[in-house]
Amino acid sequence: MSDQNVSLPLSPVDQAGWRSLISAQVGTWLLIAVALCLPLVVAGSWVFALGICFANAIGVLSVSVLVRYGGEVSIGHTFFSAVGAYTVAILDTRFGIPLWLSVPPALALGVVAGILFAWPSRRLSGIYLAVSTLALALAVPEIINNADGLTGGYEGLYVSEPLVPGVKMSLQRYYAALAVLLAVTYGLARLRRSRQGLALLLSKSHPAAADAFGARQVWARVAVMGISGGIAALCGAMLAFAGSTVSPSGFTFWAAIFLLVGSVVSVYGLTFPRALIGGAFLTLIPQFLSASGAWIPVLYGVALLGVILAGHYLPRLTQAMGRRKGGA
Amino acid sequence: MDAATNALTGQGISLSFGGIKVLKGLDVTFRAGEITGLIGPNGAGKTSLFNCLTGAYSPQEGQIAYAGQSLDGLSPAARAGKGIVRSFQHVALSLDLTVLENVMIGVARNHHAGWLNAFLPLPRGRAERAEMERAAMGALTDLGLADAAHSLPDALPPGMLRLVEIARAIVGKPDVLLLDEPAAGLNNSETRDLMQTLRKLRSGGLVMVVVEHDMDLVMSICDRIYVMNFGEFVACGTADEVRRDPDVIRIYLGSDDD
Amino acid sequence: MSDILRDLFPLVWSGMITGCLYALGALGLVMIFKCSRVVNFSHGNVAGFAAFLIYGFSSGVLLELSWGAAVLLTIIAIIAIAFLSYAVVSPLVFESDLTATIATLGIGLIAQGATLLIFGADIVSLDLPVPRFSTAVLGLRITGYDLTVLAVAVVTIGALFFVIDFTKLGIAFRAISENPFAAEVCGLNLRSVHLFAWIVAAILGVVGALLIVPTTFLSVTTVAAFMLQAFAAAVIGGFASLPGALVGGILVGVLMNLFTFYVSPEYSSTFLLGLIMLALNIFPNGILARVEGFRV
Repeated sequence: MSDQNVSLPLSPVDQAGWRSLISAQVGTWLLIAVALCLPLVVAGSWVFALGICFANAIGVLSVSVLVRYGGEVSIGHTFFSAVGAYTVAILDTRFGIPLWLSVPPALALGVVAGILFAWPSRRLSGIYLAVSTLALALAVPEIINNADGLTGGYEGLYVSEPLVPGVKMSLQRYYAALAVLLAVTYGLARLRRSRQGLALLLSKSHPAAADAFGARQVWARVAVMGISGGIAALCGAMLAFAGSTVSPSGFTFWAAIFLLVGSVVSVYGLTFPRALIGGAFLTLIPQFLSASGAWIPVLYGVALLGVILAGHYLPRLTQAMGRRKGGA
Repeated sequence: MDAATNALTGQGISLSFGGIKVLKGLDVTFRAGEITGLIGPNGAGKTSLFNCLTGAYSPQEGQIAYAGQSLDGLSPAARAGKGIVRSFQHVALSLDLTVLENVMIGVARNHHAGWLNAFLPLPRGRAERAEMERAAMGALTDLGLADAAHSLPDALPPGMLRLVEIARAIVGKPDVLLLDEPAAGLNNSETRDLMQTLRKLRSGGLVMVVVEHDMDLVMSICDRIYVMNFGEFVACGTADEVRRDPDVIRIYLGSDDD
Repeated sequence: MSDILRDLFPLVWSGMITGCLYALGALGLVMIFKCSRVVNFSHGNVAGFAAFLIYGFSSGVLLELSWGAAVLLTIIAIIAIAFLSYAVVSPLVFESDLTATIATLGIGLIAQGATLLIFGADIVSLDLPVPRFSTAVLGLRITGYDLTVLAVAVVTIGALFFVIDFTKLGIAFRAISENPFAAEVCGLNLRSVHLFAWIVAAILGVVGALLIVPTTFLSVTTVAAFMLQAFAAAVIGGFASLPGALVGGILVGVLMNLFTFYVSPEYSSTFLLGLIMLALNIFPNGILARVEGFRV
């Protein structure tokens, strides 16, 4: 069943031992502390970019979770992030509903969208599922543009309702995105230890065995897509809030591919630092290369290939090195 | 519990793949409180019969029932919910999970904490995890695997993985335990430990079926043995009866006089 | 009633013509998928790059060649690109087809970036040297372009089927598509057959791109967008069947035409999504990775 497995350079926790686990935890806490203090020292434009970076990191997580827990690849997650983004934006512009009230429905709609997509595609796997997500991504901008009465069409919507009245809006955008990103990574860390998480992981590699212990394949697929869709919707919600505008240009087919690129570059990691790597890759590189946009796809393509090929060759290389050492 | 009423039975089970008859109308009763052996040459249909019993295959003809209740049409997951559990011929452990976590999946069907518990630190989810860990650790200790509990399967030799697979099957206190070649890949002392464990497991309520090539193991722990060949039962009886059966001798020692 | 019929025939006809082009694209995707189980997401972008190369070689942006020489040079360049692409992907193919598929996305991104870097984001026009005439048959307006497309498609697809049915490489291709393990045991070289498929697919992509561009303008996204219909065609045809790709291409061409005319031109991608989901669920033969009977 080679089509089930996406091969990756994994870092097994247990082999590394507790010491490195603790140092990784310390590193994560340090990173969080830095993220919390950053708006005090960097310029306003960076605070804005970092807010979007956090939102994109959530989107990267939504793709990674599908790979890690479902063994599947999606190139259509902009569909789910668009659901979240437009839920927040429409509730904001139409009804003046602030973020803390619009995120729960955004999350719920994302989960529902994930499940609704998972059900007809429950028997598809590997490449067939990837192709159907591709179709999903293609339909998104068109649907948004045509439902312009609701979505503002090509022009998009402007999200202005503050979360906490009186606090500087730029700080709100930054901290809200950071908070949601932290919440998602925390939730995913819990999922890894939960009964459902264990069952999903077994179902990914041995569906028949998981079946024999009560976790049906269809359940696993629908659950993973629901989780992934929900997280993607959170990404959209935070993109809307942190980026302040929502328009179809943010949810193109390419944006969906970029989410996958970010996920690959973060080696499908589900931790806060890994998600940040993916999010930064998607947000900060265009920021740096804004003068020469044509290099962006080249750089993304090279990074994608580089990480994949490294994942292929590095284990072999270390093995060969180890053998040479052992022989000497 | 009355041993006879809690039996796993099959009546007239026939299974074919594209015109090839793999199982030819088998009638079988696996009784509770006994260890039943299922032996026969490769390709005799032992694993296919297992797959029919667990619901992975649905036989074209025949009925399967446990404790008088029909299992026909139930998915493997639904049968697992009724306490029918199996191990796999090819070790089917998740490489992402530690040994302990792999075994914890064996008790998952007895727990029902909701999705919120999966993401939030709620008391019910924590209690469930602790309970599952305790049960899994117990099963691992029984099989002498406590030291390996926190290793990843990658780091262990095949014999130990086989035992982990069995630990996962028995940890949930199943009513029906189907073991597919549990001793394959085990060394002598591991096989002895396994036999000890299986004997200890034998209880009034448990239906235990073992498919195995290791004749010593089968002959010494099984109360009743079915011998299969070409999708049919050739013989059935105690170890001594089966050993003396001319058909069985012919299958296992070759058929010069044909 | 008669109005509907009067519109119907021209719609079906022009749908068939575009369908032939989708089929050319889909055949390339299926060639690669059949032998290596990799979906080549770089197909559209590489073909688009090829179209730009022809433009660049013939218009004086890069060189000032005749149209024929430009096409020839481009095909050589595209074969080199196919060779390079496969060289990058080949170690992954034997490990995980899904990883290899993701890698083709990387190649596609690089091709897109290269197009932007060399030719910029402007729209250019690239014409085919075809006879400009049109004639009416039974109320259908048939143009020289239509006939060219039809002729080129028939010849190309005919040649492809001939190669696959009768040449040594074609037979090896079929053997490997049926059972890669057995074929390798029999001494067939998987890599050379894969490479054959990649190169043939790339050439089919160039032909498709050349024929589609005259109907519209050439921009960075034109051909990539066109290849997405080719994806749908491949999916509908079963993804592992060459005749299926042909039928799928024509079906997608006709259905899209009818949909945009009678229902709505604005929801064509959504229609395509529905079509793909429907095909994957209703006609799973050859589409589903494993329907039943998996071994445990």
